[in-house]
Amino acid sequence: MLAYLTQRLAVGAVSLFGVAVAVFLIMRVIPGDAAVMLSGAGGGVVSEQELQDVRHKLGLDRPLPVQFADWAAKVAVLQLGTSLRTGNRVIDDAARRFPYTLQIVVMAMVLAVVGGIPLGVLSAYRAGSWLDQGLRLVSIGGLAAPSFWIGLIIILGLIWLFEWSAPLVWEPFWVSPLQSLSQLVWPALAVGFRQLALIARMTRSMMLEVLGEDYVRTARAKGVAEASVVLRHGLQNALLPVVTVIGFEFSALFGGLIVTESVFSVPGLGQYVVDSILNRDYPAAQGIVLILASFVVVSNVTVDMMYGWLDPRVRVQDA
Amino acid sequence: MRSHAGLTSVYTDTVGADVETVDGRGGSQSRLGRMTRAQPLGAVGAVILLTMVVIAVAAPVVAPFDPTLGDPAALYAPPGPPYWLGTDAFGRDIASRLIYGARVSLLIGLGTSLLGVAVGAALGTVAAYRGQWTDSIIQRAMDALLAFPMLLLALAMATMLGPSIENVIVSLAVPIVPRAARVVRSSVLVLRSTPFVEASRAIGCGDMRIIVRHIVPNTLAPLLVIATAYLGLAIVQEAALDYLGAGIQEPQASWGLMLSGSATSLALTAPWIVIFPGLAICLAVLAANLVGDAIRDLLDPRLRRDY
Amino acid sequence: MDTAGFRLTRRDVLRTTGSLLTAATLGWPTRAAAQAAAPKRGGTLRVSNGGDPPDFDIQQTATYLTQFLAAPCYSTLMREDVSDPTRVVPELIERWDIAADGRTVTLHVRKDVAFHNGDVLTAEDVKYNLDRIRVPPKGIVSPRKGQLANIESVEVRGPLTAIVHLKQPQPDFLFLISNPFNGIYPKKVVEPLDQTGQGMKRQIVGTGPFRLARATEGQIYELVRNEKYWGPAPYLDRMQFFPIKGEVERAAALQGKRVDGCFFFASESVLQSLAKVPGMVTLRRPNPIFINLIPNVTKKPFDDPRVREALSLAIDREAFIKTVGPLAGAFYHSLGLMPPKSPYSLTAAEVKQFSGYDTLPGLGGNIAANRQKAIALLEQAGVPKGFKIVIPTRGDVPAFRDSAINVSSQLKLVGLDATVDVRDAGAFYQLETKGDFQIVMHSVAIAGAQPDQILGEGYTSFGGRNYGGWKNEALDDLYRAQSAELDAKKRVEAVRQFQLAFLKTYNQVNLAWVGYAAAHASTLHGWVPMTDLYNNMQMSRVWLST
Repeated sequence: MLAYLTQRLAVGAVSLFGVAVAVFLIMRVIPGDAAVMLSGAGGGVVSEQELQDVRHKLGLDRPLPVQFADWAAKVAVLQLGTSLRTGNRVIDDAARRFPYTLQIVVMAMVLAVVGGIPLGVLSAYRAGSWLDQGLRLVSIGGLAAPSFWIGLIIILGLIWLFEWSAPLVWEPFWVSPLQSLSQLVWPALAVGFRQLALIARMTRSMMLEVLGEDYVRTARAKGVAEASVVLRHGLQNALLPVVTVIGFEFSALFGGLIVTESVFSVPGLGQYVVDSILNRDYPAAQGIVLILASFVVVSNVTVDMMYGWLDPRVRVQDA
Repeated sequence: MRSHAGLTSVYTDTVGADVETVDGRGGSQSRLGRMTRAQPLGAVGAVILLTMVVIAVAAPVVAPFDPTLGDPAALYAPPGPPYWLGTDAFGRDIASRLIYGARVSLLIGLGTSLLGVAVGAALGTVAAYRGQWTDSIIQRAMDALLAFPMLLLALAMATMLGPSIENVIVSLAVPIVPRAARVVRSSVLVLRSTPFVEASRAIGCGDMRIIVRHIVPNTLAPLLVIATAYLGLAIVQEAALDYLGAGIQEPQASWGLMLSGSATSLALTAPWIVIFPGLAICLAVLAANLVGDAIRDLLDPRLRRDY
Repeated sequence: MDTAGFRLTRRDVLRTTGSLLTAATLGWPTRAAAQAAAPKRGGTLRVSNGGDPPDFDIQQTATYLTQFLAAPCYSTLMREDVSDPTRVVPELIERWDIAADGRTVTLHVRKDVAFHNGDVLTAEDVKYNLDRIRVPPKGIVSPRKGQLANIESVEVRGPLTAIVHLKQPQPDFLFLISNPFNGIYPKKVVEPLDQTGQGMKRQIVGTGPFRLARATEGQIYELVRNEKYWGPAPYLDRMQFFPIKGEVERAAALQGKRVDGCFFFASESVLQSLAKVPGMVTLRRPNPIFINLIPNVTKKPFDDPRVREALSLAIDREAFIKTVGPLAGAFYHSLGLMPPKSPYSLTAAEVKQFSGYDTLPGLGGNIAANRQKAIALLEQAGVPKGFKIVIPTRGDVPAFRDSAINVSSQLKLVGLDATVDVRDAGAFYQLETKGDFQIVMHSVAIAGAQPDQILGEGYTSFGGRNYGGWKNEALDDLYRAQSAELDAKKRVEAVRQFQLAFLKTYNQVNLAWVGYAAAHASTLHGWVPMTDLYNNMQMSRVWLST
């Protein structure tokens, strides 16, 4: 197990290095550099000499490999550098923004689990019925609408129906829980629908599989109450893969909020990374992408480890 | 055989892929009528999608107006004759823009999923078949791409390449590659050790021949399912790219583009400008997913084990 | 507060001395309507800005995001009169003398003005700031350096006296230093920061009625009352700025009473929906921001004046205004190059002699005939039918994006195959800075409406807005001649000559002027929307009723 963990982490580190190279290159190839943005070029023609001066101050006139080595060396000791746009350490900006994104992710997942699992069970239990078809339609529908579109409709709906808009002063959940909930439940709804759909469908298919197993038939034959058959024998055994999905979705959501956060003006990581890309804020964009990528890597390893641990039938294998 | 790598691959996307659907009643019916009865939703999806494709192909014939030239005398016209779905801020007929937009959006959906899945499948097959160093290198590259948040990768690529249909297709396809590669790689690993492949090798067939004759046909089913899922995802993500300002060039129409730019601020006084393109996206993605579900159930019950 | 304060008109500049009555009578002119009720002290004004300010250096910036936030914290040497935008009033100077040759301006700095950090304002600060704007230190960018390019040197004579030597007489000079972006920094703070290339991007230290108390990027920017303010004490306790990018989202915050005001909207649709909300005040004002079609004269075939003339002929300005107006606020038009209703405007007859300008609203032009002429001109110039034109634009500003979309479809009608290349701001700047484009549709926002501002910045070969890369010594000489003209009547004529000469070149084709919209709760009082967006953040007289 330990050897496997070490191996997985080593592989993860290699992936992260790949991400680092990729994000560094992409950021440098995107037309329009940090100097152009920092010079507020919208105010008039900025001469090439002025831009060179700014680049020199930022060290952007050095050869790319030198810049990369410089950055990578700092990242290796967990120094993400200073944002060109905000002037703060990237890690501080990220830490301040992380709770909001985390909260949306958690709320979206809670919503998805609380709604998705019962729907999936119901759907499987009535497999093939019109109820099943209807639920499937709704759950596929959850994957179909662009989240910014849903977001806009939520915002307009709240204002038209209740003349209410979310508070603008942001405090973390632990400072003012109610206000925080009232701000973040909307983006959570906008993205959570999709997770709900995924979980409902996963639950449905696993339930169908499990309900067909011999031990479920045996339980039924023994006259165990139907609810108990479905929930104890069925759901309990179907749940493991569902938990896996939840794990993967959890890490993926962090990078999936970039549009939704901007629609709801949430000061989260997603909006930060988009602003960083648009402003050619190299240290910030690169740093946050690395952070998001490491979430994915760590959670994948965790889920894999958990999976092997929870279900001894499954042999851990990395073919 | 349950592969963890396969699991990871499917669940690291973020916006709308749904390749995991399993229908317990997957069977081997082959008659169209029985298929329709077994998969009524899938049939509905197929009809919707086909209709959209036909309309898109026949756009110049079907569209009542030029999608790029506005009527300055009919800005913000509400739905009604002759503009049945209304006009936008530039006086352009929304129905015609939806019809021409179907070309762009469906092309992006199809192009993206085909490109992403094809490249991914090629890499996955090579990786699984060659093994060793080739496999390791491809695997690590795919890992890195997988760890990159999907939409973010597409956004960065699209900003880098500049706006055009081809660039959007490439940008959106890149995140699909590792996901498709993972799925294909695990199926090929299974196939490689199956008796018929081993038999082919025993009678001296070359690698290429084995891949083309035996491996590829046997991975088509999972690929088709992934492709339909990513078709819908690509349409939604193209809209997100347009929203973030890195999509298609005006005055070309795409459904996503019709929702971006000034459109959102017009939702307040001319809601038809955003409602119809939004509905078009929903309908197309819904249809694609329904078809994907049905294909999965009909073609390959084995897939339920791989999600 | 019943005096109108000291005002300066352009003609006043011709007198050699400006002076001030007493400090007690200084202040902003009364505004009967705004002060009908007794102002209430206290309260927090919550406003929404369209995003995070990229930085706080008001002298280096060109965006309203920074200007709106920083302007209440800074004072300028002089500033535009709230009641009459054709006048400027002294602010950090008490008075000035202009020598008989018109080239030496003596600025007498106000006594006992303290910066937020306690430092006292001196003539050294004035010199440093003027020099910083006109010849910025290495690594500092000054978008308005051209506006102060006529300064030859600034000399400090005593702690409160600065003498500005001009290259040639310049009646607009005092208007140029009152530019609302020219907030005055303390030299002791800014000089070392300039050495690092950072400048004042990360802090605000000014002499204005408010000071920055808190800045949390992505969330809130809070200003509090400057208790040591040199002028009349501000009414508000604090101002909070919330960055919200979408106009609809901003309108929702306003309607949901999360903010009290939003001082810059573009979309008419948003404004109209807010106008229906009870207790909401909405308005739209013209603004000295213009939208021009700018051909790149260094690229074929746009080096050919016939092609540029054809572009002008191809655009139905009335249709453009009707379409882009509601999206970007481009509802206005003017005769000639100066802003609408400027004393320097040309006559309709003068404007109509230039191709395409007869389609301005009310001038009775025939667009169909114009387009025929355009097609003929293009043919003469050897531009093939279906010639491809790509118009790069930035996707985040309607004045750029939607103008480009409209123009591209109009150009199609004269046989040009025009498409719009929507980029993010960074990529667009890059294309534009490098001159890597055929045509751009450009909204040009210059604070100020004097000829030296509009023409100097927008229409000279050395001006900051010469994106098209043209060169024309004769035009530049005409500009310099009008700039130095002290006689008001002769100045009008000189500006007229310049405009006529410029319009003939079609180096830039003016299409429309932009106005801004604003909305605020009726509990907000004393805020005066001026005819220049950037002068709107004069917040010391603003108060809130409950």
